[in-house]
Amino acid sequence: MRYENRQIPEGINVSTEHPLKEFSALLLSLVVLVGAVVVGLSVLAAYAAPLVPFHVEQKIVEQTGSDWLQADPLSVEQQAVKQYLKTLGSALEANMELPEAMTLTVHYSDSELVNAFATLGGHIVIHRGLLREMPHENALAMVMAHEIAHIKYRHPIVASGRGLTVGLALAAVGGFTDSSATGLLINILGSGSMSSFSRGQESEADAEALKALLAHYGHVNGAADLFKALHDRTEPSKLLEFFGTHPADRKRIAAIEQFSLNISQGSTQPFPESVLKAVH
Amino acid sequence: MLLNLTIFLCLVFLGYVFGRHAEKKHFESILERENQYKALLAFSARFPPADMAISESKLVGGTVVISIDYFKRLAAGLRNIFGGPVTSYESLIERARREAILRMKEEAIAMGAEMIINVKLETSSITKGAGDQVGAVEVYAYGTALKH
Repeated sequence: MRYENRQIPEGINVSTEHPLKEFSALLLSLVVLVGAVVVGLSVLAAYAAPLVPFHVEQKIVEQTGSDWLQADPLSVEQQAVKQYLKTLGSALEANMELPEAMTLTVHYSDSELVNAFATLGGHIVIHRGLLREMPHENALAMVMAHEIAHIKYRHPIVASGRGLTVGLALAAVGGFTDSSATGLLINILGSGSMSSFSRGQESEADAEALKALLAHYGHVNGAADLFKALHDRTEPSKLLEFFGTHPADRKRIAAIEQFSLNISQGSTQPFPESVLKAVH
Repeated sequence: MLLNLTIFLCLVFLGYVFGRHAEKKHFESILERENQYKALLAFSARFPPADMAISESKLVGGTVVISIDYFKRLAAGLRNIFGGPVTSYESLIERARREAILRMKEEAIAMGAEMIINVKLETSSITKGAGDQVGAVEVYAYGTALKH
């Protein structure tokens, strides 16, 4: 008997196709899949979440412990600031046609954060750090009207509903794979496309805020001044813009300038002395 | 988020460049050595040829551990979602199998054997169950080397 080991031809067990070809096809499929999940559920959340009655939303916030909303007792000076914010908020709200069942609660937080936000249950929080950056009342009114517009359009509950459902769905897609690299990729793709919805909400709130400012002051001068001040400090890159939850400052400034064309002009209101003293 | 993305892209890029280079070099080396050792025959048959006069028989074995790179891992992870042949692992296992056989042959050549019979292959995953680690595969080839 004759024994031999024949040469086995190459390419039987190993694919000769370029690995990048297969990889890009798979990556594209994943982008489409994640995109479909995010868009589908986001649209669903935007439709379904506002159906939750506002008083139910308020109740949920009360039940889930809103300790952070009951901030440290404010000093007399800070009480004055809070009162001022409340008055300004009410004045703006009067021009914004909020649904009857909706009530706003304005909070003033004595912290250095340069931030303000609206959250579930009609709560609006303004930080001292942001107030300090404000050049005049009109800039503050723009921010407040912006946050009120978020509440008016039920953005917080839409965003929460969207975050929860999309987060769950992406976790489920990620669960199919035991590789953390793929999980990370899904996260990056998901949060990027989610941010575009968030930017849409911000632009919507900006547009509504401008209308409220016009009704309250008779002009929108100074509305862009805060964004201009913040813009001069930092300019995010194009890539960061994709992940940013807010539109880039220059885009917001441009939208405000576009709005202020062809309407009457006016001068900006300074802050009351008591507020300036308490903030600085 | 941006930092995560940068690290991620760097890892994938490094994995691709170095992994592909290493794989190419390895296959070249495998082909060259297979050619070099082809006079030494290896079979899975359990019994030696009936007419072979055997002066010495000995267990020989060769083992190799090969790690996947980040790119292969990502490509395989994507495959996990959509199904289909995991080509990025196929070349990995192929390299490991052939390398293990070559190392087994080297041991047999060192003892002056003409043939290895009863060749068997064992494969095991080094990082089985550890989801966060880059996987590595071990292949062990062993058989009975025969000398005239």
